[in-house]
Amino acid sequence: MTLNFRSRQIWTIARLELRRVFFSRRSFWVYGLALFPLLIFVMQTIAVEYQKRTLSAVNTISPALMDSVREGERVEAVLERLGKPSRDREYSFRRRERDGEEEVRIHNRQLHYWDGQRRANLIFQEGVLQNIHIRQLVSIDLQRLMYNGVFHYYYLKLAIFFGCLGIFMNLFRGEMLDKTLHFWLLAPARRDVLLAGKYLAGLLAASVIFGTGAALTYGAMLWPVESAEVRTFFAGPALEQMLRYSAAALLACLGYGSVFLAAGLLVRNPIIPAVVLLMWESANGFLPAVLQKLSVLHYVQSLCPMPAPVEEGTPALVRMFLAPAPATSWPLAVLGLCSLTAAILYLAAQAVKRLEINYGGD
Amino acid sequence: MSAPEIVFDEVSKFYGEVLGVNRVSLRIPPGITSLVGPNGSGKTTLMNLMTGLVHPDRGSITVRGLSPRDPERLMRLTGYATQYDAAPRGATGFDFVATSLLLWGYEPREARQRAAEALERVGLTEAGHRKVAAYSKGMRQRVRLAQAVAHDPEVLVLDEPLNGLDPVVRAETIALFRDFAARGRHVLLSSHVLQEVDVISDQVVLIANGMVVAEGRIRNVRDEIEEHPSQFLIRCSGASRVASLLFERDHVSEIKVVDDRQGLLVMTRDRNEFAAALNAIALAGHTIESVLPADENVDALYEYLIGAQR
Amino acid sequence: MAVYKRGYQRYRGELTGRYTRLLALPRFVWPRLIEQRMILIVLIVSLFWPLACIGFIYVSNHSELWSGLGGDLGKFLQIDGKFFRYFMDTQAVMAVILAALAGPGLIAPDLAHNGLPLYFSRPLSRLDYVLARLFTLVALLAMVTLFPAFLLFAMQGGLAGMGWLTQNWRLPFGVFTGFTLHILLVSLVALACSAWVKWRTIAGALVVGFFFILAGVAEMLNNVLEVTWGILLNPAQSLYTVWSAMLGVDAGEGPGAWACVAGLAVLSALLGVVLEKKLRPVEVIS
Repeated sequence: MTLNFRSRQIWTIARLELRRVFFSRRSFWVYGLALFPLLIFVMQTIAVEYQKRTLSAVNTISPALMDSVREGERVEAVLERLGKPSRDREYSFRRRERDGEEEVRIHNRQLHYWDGQRRANLIFQEGVLQNIHIRQLVSIDLQRLMYNGVFHYYYLKLAIFFGCLGIFMNLFRGEMLDKTLHFWLLAPARRDVLLAGKYLAGLLAASVIFGTGAALTYGAMLWPVESAEVRTFFAGPALEQMLRYSAAALLACLGYGSVFLAAGLLVRNPIIPAVVLLMWESANGFLPAVLQKLSVLHYVQSLCPMPAPVEEGTPALVRMFLAPAPATSWPLAVLGLCSLTAAILYLAAQAVKRLEINYGGD
Repeated sequence: MSAPEIVFDEVSKFYGEVLGVNRVSLRIPPGITSLVGPNGSGKTTLMNLMTGLVHPDRGSITVRGLSPRDPERLMRLTGYATQYDAAPRGATGFDFVATSLLLWGYEPREARQRAAEALERVGLTEAGHRKVAAYSKGMRQRVRLAQAVAHDPEVLVLDEPLNGLDPVVRAETIALFRDFAARGRHVLLSSHVLQEVDVISDQVVLIANGMVVAEGRIRNVRDEIEEHPSQFLIRCSGASRVASLLFERDHVSEIKVVDDRQGLLVMTRDRNEFAAALNAIALAGHTIESVLPADENVDALYEYLIGAQR
Repeated sequence: MAVYKRGYQRYRGELTGRYTRLLALPRFVWPRLIEQRMILIVLIVSLFWPLACIGFIYVSNHSELWSGLGGDLGKFLQIDGKFFRYFMDTQAVMAVILAALAGPGLIAPDLAHNGLPLYFSRPLSRLDYVLARLFTLVALLAMVTLFPAFLLFAMQGGLAGMGWLTQNWRLPFGVFTGFTLHILLVSLVALACSAWVKWRTIAGALVVGFFFILAGVAEMLNNVLEVTWGILLNPAQSLYTVWSAMLGVDAGEGPGAWACVAGLAVLSALLGVVLEKKLRPVEVIS
């Protein structure tokens, strides 16, 4: 049998599998995962438009006036100087200053002002200005930071991770559960050809779904920004950044896909490898440099235009993900991930050669 | 040219601590061969072993000279209708057969044509465009058979292929097997419906508890089991008298007079002695119209060989 | 011999009660769950943190062991709401992992093998079946949540005296109520996932994914839309807020405990709907 014949077989297998991965009802949740951030950015666009209208409707102050506010000022003085706020909110809460002491009630007041571009959030405690938060309602830099966070924490660590878990585990383990795997094993194709065909199908599907999702979300992220700002951004780094995010998504699919495909062949229960990998990827930043390179996330994050942001006060469950890896140069990152993937696929090929039909066990 | 036999050489397969098959040695020539045994005896394991779906722990298998570990070549000449529905979710019968032909390497147009022909052979042309999920049990059997024969294999392996078929379709299916066998091909099927394999098989392999307890042509198998009493139906006049003469012989263990009193059902432990005794009775002037073996079917062998082990 | 000739008679003895009858299912399942190596490992690992907490309680109540060390150690070694919240946080994660391993096998195989008609042909209603499965899982999860909590309180009460318990009565109340809410919710999630996807291995992954993905979605909502109500979509964070309120500890920004309780109630109702839709005594031919 020639290489050409085997390549055609790989493509035939991939084509048949692709139809299943793209259009089966079981895959719809993956679309949901990939497109959910898009929905959120659309919601943000609507929210920003709404806020602009409501803030402008009451009072727009000059930027200089907004910048003149200082901490420690009394609320009455601020109101007199800046005029009616766009929003005025009062509330109180109880707080215990020290353990064992009585709780005290604290009165808070928040005033919002708007200068046409920026929004000031002034927080008064017992009538004295404690915190000043001035920020643009929306700006390209803020949006990029936000997208970067979404990409690192949502796409890479959640959506692509669990999406690939679903897609690639289904290729062999799912067929075993459906009692249909023998259909493929009885074809006149080498087992490694079958593996390659199925992996290709999974990779194409995952890359298209998550690559498109990430790119569309990138576009949606720019919606609320002023069009002039967007034009300047597109004249600059926008396309390169989008490409790098898409490449990172593709490489994440490549790496996680190989891991989950191999896991689907080597173990019966996907929870165990999934949890182990999740822990490994999260703890990766704390490991020695050599071990760090045995992680998919390490290489993928190196391709992103910006490193993963680290925030304080993140909930316990999410905190598990926060383990930024030191960056590697992009050619090395691509090479490293491809080598890692090749090694895992080699292991998977050995496993698929030993694979036996045992439907009763599941 | 590949060797035209399927050879199992001291093959053993264990599923953990559970025995699949143990030290099976077989040489299966072309023709229709039936694997017969009770549920869990190892029939499907043997079929899975020879098609590479499971691998032996010991021993070796060749199918017309090819190893089951080489699916690329083996499955080109083998078609296997398993007991499981292999059709992908939502696939029609036609899609199912055509898809498998694409995997065989046929061009889409050729695959569609062959799929249509295969479905026609099993009488599913009209139902071909309905989803397999909506098929009856018998239709599923037939679509699996269509998939197995669509690429015109040299070796056809069928796991309980006659289950759930109505009499007409069963007859057509058996004719299909015979057609394959007549062209020098292997048709290997399993069944526990003994009567149906009795009449269609060229050879039979009896399995119990993972071991082959008998193999060969039904008559040859019978000959191997000399200890087993044989039963004959004798049509004769003066049945009572013939019965009393036969009872004088040591090898005759039981005689029943049939209801019309024109015949006897005789159980003997020695066929040769029995033949000599009948000769002597005939020469003594008694009319013996016919002598027929009464238990030369798989059922009787099955009961004798593996009944005790069930 | 034909069945009718055997002279069978219907059972005329006393029947077990409606609710004790439900226990037949957990009684059958528990030994099989414990036999699973991974479940046993997780159960054992789940005891490490309670053991460490017991050690902490012991040290905190024996000031002679550390009084010479000086510093602010006394404050650090205090047994208060924060201590129990740390204890709950860790045990809650273990409960999720345990539910992901044990839960999917409770319903998925029955659906995959068309076993439900068999159950419902017994004197069991759909509600009985769900309650029995829920009880199976709740009892298992209680082994890593409620029972260790009980041990901690027994130990702290024994060492610090009844005065401590009287003074801190809201702590045991908070821990037991919080854990009960948690294991009920986690069990419901595990059962709903099990019923939704039918295959136990996939359902297991879904249980883990459910908590992690919702946490990510909530965080994303909060950051992009600059709101705090996103945590209502994150059951783990909502439970954290409820526990914190019950233990009298600050939970940080976001909706209050009652809003979180309402969010959790809506989520539970949705999970109930999934179970109601999926658990039907029909045979699926595919």
